[in-house]
Amino acid sequence: MNPTVAIVGAGPAGLAAAAALTARGVRDIAVFDRDDTVGGLPRYCGHLGFGWEYSHRLEKGSAFIRRLIGETDLSRAALYPRTTVLEMAPGPVLRVVGPETGLREIRPKAVLVATGVRERPRAARLVPGARPERGVLTTGALQQMETRGIPMPGPRAVVIGSEHVAFSVLLTARHCGLKIVAMAEPGNRVLSLAVARPIARVVFGVPVFLNTEIEEIQGRATVEAIVLRTPEGLRRIPCDCVIFSGSFVPDAPLSEEAGLAIDPRTGGPVIDQFMRTSQPGVFAAGNLLRPVESSGVAACEGARAGACIAAFLAGHLDGTQAASVFGLGEGVRYLVPQRWAMDAVDLRDARPLRPSLRVSSDMEAARVTLATDGAVVWQGRRRRLLRERRIAINLDALPSGRPAAPRVDLVA
Amino acid sequence: MADYDVAIIGAGVVGCAIAREFSRYHLRAILLEANSDLCDEASKGNTATLATGNDTPVGSLERKLVVRGHQRYLAEGPSLGLPIRMVGAMTVAFDEAEARVVSEEVRSSRAEGFASVELLNADGIYARVPHLAPGAVAAAWAPDEGIVDGFSTAYAYALDAVVNGVDYRDSAPVTAAHRRDGVWTLTTPGGAVSARLVINCAGLRADHVEALAGYRDLTVKPRRGQYIVYDKRARRLVDVILRPAPTPTTRGVYIAPSIFGNVLLGPTAEEVPDPDDRRVTPEGIAQLTAAARRMLPALLDEPVAAMYAGMRPATEKPEYRIIPRFADGWLTCAGIRSTGLSGALGIAEYVAGLVVPEVVKAARKEAIKPARVPSLADPNIARPWTDAARVAADPFYGEMVCHCERVSVGEIRDALSGPIPVHSLKALKRRTRVMMGRCQGFFCGARVESMLRTGKP
Ligand SMILES: Cc1cc2nc3c(=O)[nH]c(=O)nc-3n(C[C@H](O)[C@H](O)[C@H](O)COP(=O)(O)OP(=O)(O)OC[C@H]3O[C@@H](n4cnc5c(N)ncnc54)[C@H](O)[C@@H]3O)c2cc1C
Ligand SMILES: Cc1cc2nc3c(=O)[nH]c(=O)nc-3n(C[C@H](O)[C@H](O)[C@H](O)COP(=O)(O)OP(=O)(O)OC[C@H]3O[C@@H](n4cnc5c(N)ncnc54)[C@H](O)[C@@H]3O)c2cc1C
Repeated sequence: MNPTVAIVGAGPAGLAAAAALTARGVRDIAVFDRDDTVGGLPRYCGHLGFGWEYSHRLEKGSAFIRRLIGETDLSRAALYPRTTVLEMAPGPVLRVVGPETGLREIRPKAVLVATGVRERPRAARLVPGARPERGVLTTGALQQMETRGIPMPGPRAVVIGSEHVAFSVLLTARHCGLKIVAMAEPGNRVLSLAVARPIARVVFGVPVFLNTEIEEIQGRATVEAIVLRTPEGLRRIPCDCVIFSGSFVPDAPLSEEAGLAIDPRTGGPVIDQFMRTSQPGVFAAGNLLRPVESSGVAACEGARAGACIAAFLAGHLDGTQAASVFGLGEGVRYLVPQRWAMDAVDLRDARPLRPSLRVSSDMEAARVTLATDGAVVWQGRRRRLLRERRIAINLDALPSGRPAAPRVDLVA
Repeated sequence: MADYDVAIIGAGVVGCAIAREFSRYHLRAILLEANSDLCDEASKGNTATLATGNDTPVGSLERKLVVRGHQRYLAEGPSLGLPIRMVGAMTVAFDEAEARVVSEEVRSSRAEGFASVELLNADGIYARVPHLAPGAVAAAWAPDEGIVDGFSTAYAYALDAVVNGVDYRDSAPVTAAHRRDGVWTLTTPGGAVSARLVINCAGLRADHVEALAGYRDLTVKPRRGQYIVYDKRARRLVDVILRPAPTPTTRGVYIAPSIFGNVLLGPTAEEVPDPDDRRVTPEGIAQLTAAARRMLPALLDEPVAAMYAGMRPATEKPEYRIIPRFADGWLTCAGIRSTGLSGALGIAEYVAGLVVPEVVKAARKEAIKPARVPSLADPNIARPWTDAARVAADPFYGEMVCHCERVSVGEIRDALSGPIPVHSLKALKRRTRVMMGRCQGFFCGARVESMLRTGKP
């Protein structure tokens, strides 16, 4: 086994990359996934809502994954589920272990890291109270339980958070006999927007507590109740499970331990518009880059990374990351890609990743500006900037030539 | 005739070590545990430091047994498969008053035979812990303090005991005790057990068990200790046990590397009425983070992997309460409050020495069967999946289920089929570390549940 390209993670990003690579004639691709089936997070979501940005269809998670696998020429790309990439070192060199591969070292020409995100569990949020053995879950764990046929700890659930994924729980709940008795959100509004509207019917009847923190979880062996600190005072809600939703973090330990430069703002590897990380030959895509985008966006990034890797293998693209770093103005929570190559690169059929950002807090009327060498070269239209929305900079290339010092600001 | 020569009530680390000790003799012994798994009370939530005993009261039984326990752990732990890392402990002084306390600790430790303990100046301190908060002036450095795996320790002792002939019963709370003609009959839901000698190692419930036999001279005063566990990334910040200078009332909050590669911040020390009240509280979290801010502020920027609270089986007296009541065929082994993990092998040897041959006549066995638990340490992991030949021979060792702690299907299968049964998720967690990492089951929780239910990957 000696692949030319190793893809770490067979979620939407990794699979779309494999499809893009095989479509460009690249052979000997190995796609590793440590889970027992490929597909990443969507394979556990039985409801509609996946892949829109990629395929312009709204599919179930599992159907979207089937689509991506269907687009991949499996004679050129081998899928290795149950196979973990343990370590990564410059070279690149990977150490993998799996029932089929055994424990071995591989030296591909290029690596794509697409290890995705996870939700922060209760402990990471420092939520006080008792620690029952069962019943305190994340959405991801709940959806896996549903898929794997594990009975729920009991019928009544309280959902913490109001990102899209919280509404994904409402949909899952219907399948597995859970009744959502309350939702609690620490912020002052529900964070899911577009998706929430069609779901509103389902949400109807579920009290949503805003500006609400968790006072404590109660129960010994199983959850008995949650006590919420609402603006109206403490409120004890009897329940059998507490589901912590959203609050995503990139699952970046492999990247961190490999010594890839990590952006403290995103928690994921620093990339440039060609998806190159700080280590030559190592690319990254998908929700590993930042928390969190939809599966369709992750797949689009994966496809771009696949095209960039094909260009790299063909000698059109250098393996070394761009030197210019975007300066970020006040209020920008993060921007991806963090670096930008000013030289024009002919990627043939691949387009570079468009910069997109998130704001730290909601801004009622503001615009995004992009400057090089102190002069504004692009500005977005003035609009409401919400912290959960991806704000794309609709620009495929910055003016080339140096020095450039690209910079993104928010102007009220 | 009694079923057993010795019945040990309570499979905490102390009861398990005592059971192992008796397995070295030609006698019949049983270990009775109330819960569905061993190590589920005081012994499950501690800092898991292997203490030398230099900060125990001078001249106390506790000191003697901790010193001996430490010595034996280093000698016997490795053959049981138990990992040990001798990271050393540093008691740090941030002002002149604290500096006097630590230099006195160094002086008295050295005078009492802890020859390796030394006083560090600021250079010595920051050379060992560059991320320590500024302003440290002096520290007591005890290089022989180590870190170990608390769960596996109790499990290894129990396994060794069982392999060498001790009977073990879980879900067997002793609810009554009666003595007739020199034989105790202990009532448990699964049936009565009779024994000539009973050893009460019931930890947090030792006073209840004492009361079953009519003794009322001991009261447990549970003392909770809360912890925050930082993700493995934090280990770059500190690789020694950091302790604040002790005050007359408390040893304070430690920052300690764990044998699993995390960093622990804790414990608090709060007397609580209910020994099962293992809540983590906002006040506790605030106290812990304040302690980190003072000693190692960089820790507060690290992601948290878990939180827990332990419960010390303290009594109304500060000392170990090892009370022979041999005229009644009873021995109390309680109040093993805050050094029991380190002291257990010392306690076990001492207890066996009291019992054999005066109370129970038994010869020592010539041949001991080996027992070994898998090492769960990180780094220096001796996990099956780090060995290409083992993975090739048994591919289940190559398939991970828990990705944060890297536990393979094969390791879970092994734990589920060991001689000491696993009945619950928490038991499986302690045997293998599944779900104990940063994601707390986001990735693997459902699959682990499924394996526990079906026994299949
Ligand atoms: C509960 C939940 C509900 C969601 N609902 C929706 C929705 O309704 N619509 C939508 O569009 N999006 C949804 N999302 C978001 C979206 O599905 C994911 O974020 C998307 O799957 C990201 O794709 P990815 O390829 O970047 O990562 P992932 O899908 O997370 O895939 C990463 C893969 O990498 C593998 N991996 C990680 N580390 C290693 C390693 N070291 N070795 C081998 N393999 C490794 C993992 O096993 C995993 O399969 C949801 C997310 C969650 C958690
Ligand atoms: C916060 C904290 C930090 C600590 N740090 C350290 C450290 O760093 N190093 C160190 O060496 N020590 C440390 N300790 C101390 C150590 O954990 C204890 O000394 C030790 O665990 C006590 O063990 P035990 O076996 O006496 O009690 P337990 O572990 O409580 O065992 C008693 C057992 O008896 C069982 N039982 C009770 N009643 C019955 C009944 N009626 N029938 C049958 N079974 C019964 C219980 O279920 C339990 O399993 C710490 C303790 C705490 C709480």
